[in-house]
Amino acid sequence: MAMQPHSKKRVCYYYDSDIGNYYYGQGHPMKPHRIRMTHNLLLNYGLYRKMEIYRPHKATAEEMTKFHSDDYIKFLRSIRPDNMSEYNKQMQRFNVGEDCPVFDGLYEFCQLSAGGSVAAAVKLNKQASEICINWGGGLHHAKKSEASGFCYVNDIVLGILELLKYHQRVLYIDIDVHHGDGVEEAFYTTDRVMTVSFHKYGEYFPGTGDLRDIGAGKGKYYAVNIPLRDGMDDESYESIFVPIISKVMETFQPSAVVLQCGADSLTGDRLGCFNLTVRGHGKCVEFVKKYNLPFMMVGGGGYTIRNVSRAWTYETSVALGVEIANELPYNDYFEYFGPDFKLHISPSNMANQNTPEYLEKIKTRLFENLRMLPHAPGVQVQAIPEDAIHEDSDNEDKVDKDERLPQKELDKRIAPENDFSDSEDEGEGGRRDQRSYKGRKRPRLEKGGDSKDGGLDDKSLKDELKSDKDDKEDLKSSIEDNKKEVGVAP
Amino acid sequence: MVLAAKNGEDARNGRRSRGPSPNGHVQTESSDDDSPVPTDKIRVGRDYQAVCPELTPENLRKPELLADRALLVWSPTTDIADSKLEDYILLAKDKYGYNGEQALGMLFWHKHDLDRAVLDLANFTPFPDEWSVEDKVLFEQAFQFHGKSFHRIRQMLPEKTIASLVKYYYSWKKIRSRTSQMDKQARKLTTPREDGTPSEAGSEGGSNDDSDHDEKKWTIHRGIRRKSDTPPRSGTSDENGNQGEGGACSNCGVNCTVTHVTPKGTLCTSCFQHWRRTGILRPTSGPTASKRGAPIGARHKRKPPRGMYINHDDLAAMASGSAGVLILKAMDRELEALHRQIQQNKQVVSSLKRKHSESLEDLRPTGDNSSRINSRWTNEELLLAVQGVRKYGKDFKSIAEVLGNKTEHHVRSFFVNYRKRYNLDTVLKDYEKDNGPVVIDDSVDEKVELDDSLDNNSSNDVICVSPTPPPPKKDFKNTKISIAQASK
Repeated sequence: MAMQPHSKKRVCYYYDSDIGNYYYGQGHPMKPHRIRMTHNLLLNYGLYRKMEIYRPHKATAEEMTKFHSDDYIKFLRSIRPDNMSEYNKQMQRFNVGEDCPVFDGLYEFCQLSAGGSVAAAVKLNKQASEICINWGGGLHHAKKSEASGFCYVNDIVLGILELLKYHQRVLYIDIDVHHGDGVEEAFYTTDRVMTVSFHKYGEYFPGTGDLRDIGAGKGKYYAVNIPLRDGMDDESYESIFVPIISKVMETFQPSAVVLQCGADSLTGDRLGCFNLTVRGHGKCVEFVKKYNLPFMMVGGGGYTIRNVSRAWTYETSVALGVEIANELPYNDYFEYFGPDFKLHISPSNMANQNTPEYLEKIKTRLFENLRMLPHAPGVQVQAIPEDAIHEDSDNEDKVDKDERLPQKELDKRIAPENDFSDSEDEGEGGRRDQRSYKGRKRPRLEKGGDSKDGGLDDKSLKDELKSDKDDKEDLKSSIEDNKKEVGVAP
Repeated sequence: MVLAAKNGEDARNGRRSRGPSPNGHVQTESSDDDSPVPTDKIRVGRDYQAVCPELTPENLRKPELLADRALLVWSPTTDIADSKLEDYILLAKDKYGYNGEQALGMLFWHKHDLDRAVLDLANFTPFPDEWSVEDKVLFEQAFQFHGKSFHRIRQMLPEKTIASLVKYYYSWKKIRSRTSQMDKQARKLTTPREDGTPSEAGSEGGSNDDSDHDEKKWTIHRGIRRKSDTPPRSGTSDENGNQGEGGACSNCGVNCTVTHVTPKGTLCTSCFQHWRRTGILRPTSGPTASKRGAPIGARHKRKPPRGMYINHDDLAAMASGSAGVLILKAMDRELEALHRQIQQNKQVVSSLKRKHSESLEDLRPTGDNSSRINSRWTNEELLLAVQGVRKYGKDFKSIAEVLGNKTEHHVRSFFVNYRKRYNLDTVLKDYEKDNGPVVIDDSVDEKVELDDSLDNNSSNDVICVSPTPPPPKKDFKNTKISIAQASK
């Protein structure tokens, strides 16, 4: 894949000035304020004026249900701190309450975060920008009908779904210290999205992300997990990140990339246990940027907020290809960056439990998996006419070499009972034809250790569809006009 | 509360392992596939996966019709030079109290027309700070009772939204108590921006110490910027007067970086604002300009530092309410500008430093190249070698190291060839006088001068001497230091 050195890119940046005002609750480590701190730092570094700045729309319920279930979004929309008691049962069902508390403006917060990522994806689809940044996004734990790990609405999945309208294959990379389980799960059975997550594994939230989790069904080998130990430093991280991403790029050949820049992998994070510096973290951005693909950068975790804003500021400068001074400019939150008031941080002396041998072993295993990808052997021969191939023919091409052919083909011809589920919500993207995703209907028990079970019963399926229809009516009323005036009042 | 929340979260999520994770997991992990499957798993099924939209065929795509779904508030321009933009932002910040974002918003609204934006600046005022002194005091009190439970705080400040409370909290929390060392040092130059007002109000009946501290805080803007080295502002005008370069205020005699040219003469910001609002010159009862330079003798504990003094009118204005708030705001703005300047200067210094050290790096390899082994002797090298003999005797290795571009062998042959010419024997004797007899080296094809018996003893001497030859890069170090100093 062609790599080019640093180049000036057209960068779009999504930010809503309200986002810093949401507060998860006393003692909660997640602080949306860090996004405002980042913003202020960008502004005072003079990076702001080198980018296009957008105030994202608030994502509508309709947009969010492109991934999430209707009743989950409906629940998020109606719950408030003062009516929590009426929702006890649903709170339990949707895992809202403890890690993911109900706070003032929760739904709006989700709308802004998701709105930014969706708008960023649209921008990339329009080819009106090369890099889009939404530090308010990156909430990678949220599941289809469940909040998790401080995340309610999975803006990344929504963004990727938007990208998939114009891109045959999208690569998702996750450098948060936690496993990107929400995104991985959402695309676990598709071969159009490869999820690559580097994370601490073993006695650690969310508990998923084993080396042997590689995807299921059609998506087998399209989930890549790099389980790591405590104390990852810059050098080790690069030694595993670069070869794996290079290999992935080579074999998967995505036409767009989404990078989740969770900053809890930095040294000294309140919840994290890695030992990366701002520079090491930013190297990942730099490396991915070199591929010159449509590139979306989102935020994510990060609980030592001064370092989060340092890292994201630096990464914005990397995206822009602009060098910035190590001395922080004076800014509204200057006092947070004491005592040194510098951009870059030094690693701690914690031990790195990832031995080179361990990393090497992981790498070998993952390379073996990547070699199983259908188009791996003959990438050049199978020249992919940029997104042009009709999906069905594309599948047929692939399944020819694929042992899974019979099952999939059979599935394809089964009466698509779930077709009508999507037939009403057309929107701008034709989502009507679901045939290629039948694979997930009957999860395969494949050899190779991923004995995933949990087939779905048609009953619950029909129930869900029913409620889908009911909910859709009142959800439509929620389209909001959020054009606001630029921050200067007459 | 904090702990409880944390514990709950840890227990449920396995965030326990913040330290090294001591578990058998390493084995499980690296062992074979028949190890127990982890409990948390990615679930597969219709309830969990996303439904991917179909790829839009290329001929059906209409990217131009896609709605942006976001409001553009700024787009970069190449028409305006960076320095001009900088000046514009500074002007908007210092003079009109905009923040950088608002200033750029204004410029963007005028489609990057700098002149029109400048003219329009005065027609808009940023949202006034809706936090009154009472609000701030109330907030502080409420915060002491309730901590970060903004719901409860809101019960004491019902007209504020939670969002506004959160915002204020974050801007206030770090300057509330300046505990770190750096901050203590910074306090000499700085003043808490937000809580300046409440503490000012509180100090009226406060102790002497308090008021002393406060005086320092709010008089600090006077005459502190002696050498005006802020970037010159473009002479912009509004209906009230021109903003000129730094200079002395004709009213109160204070030197400042920003002065405003008015019919009444050049005025500092405070005098200018007073004049603009009231139409009359600000009465001053502070020391006159001539007095200012006079050395202050034994500094009284309660007197402000040199170059600062208390303006009694300001004091009076402070006590009488609204004008005081304005003065404070202007001072805050000035302080902010100073802070900005400090950080900017630091950035410049460090970038200069880096540039120098880089160019030094460039020099280094060329220096090494010139020291590549060369058997030809220049006059300079010959002189050096003679001095080397004086200093190291027959320790040819050390001499070679000093010379840099000669091998031990070269020096040895030098010694033989030039022995007569430079009278090296006398030189050597001088050396021996200081350091004792010289080692005999067998490989030197000349006659042994000293007894074998001396050999062993003297070799000890040499060992003592030779480990400390001056490093050949000493010169470079010196230049580095001097350059670094120059850059400061």
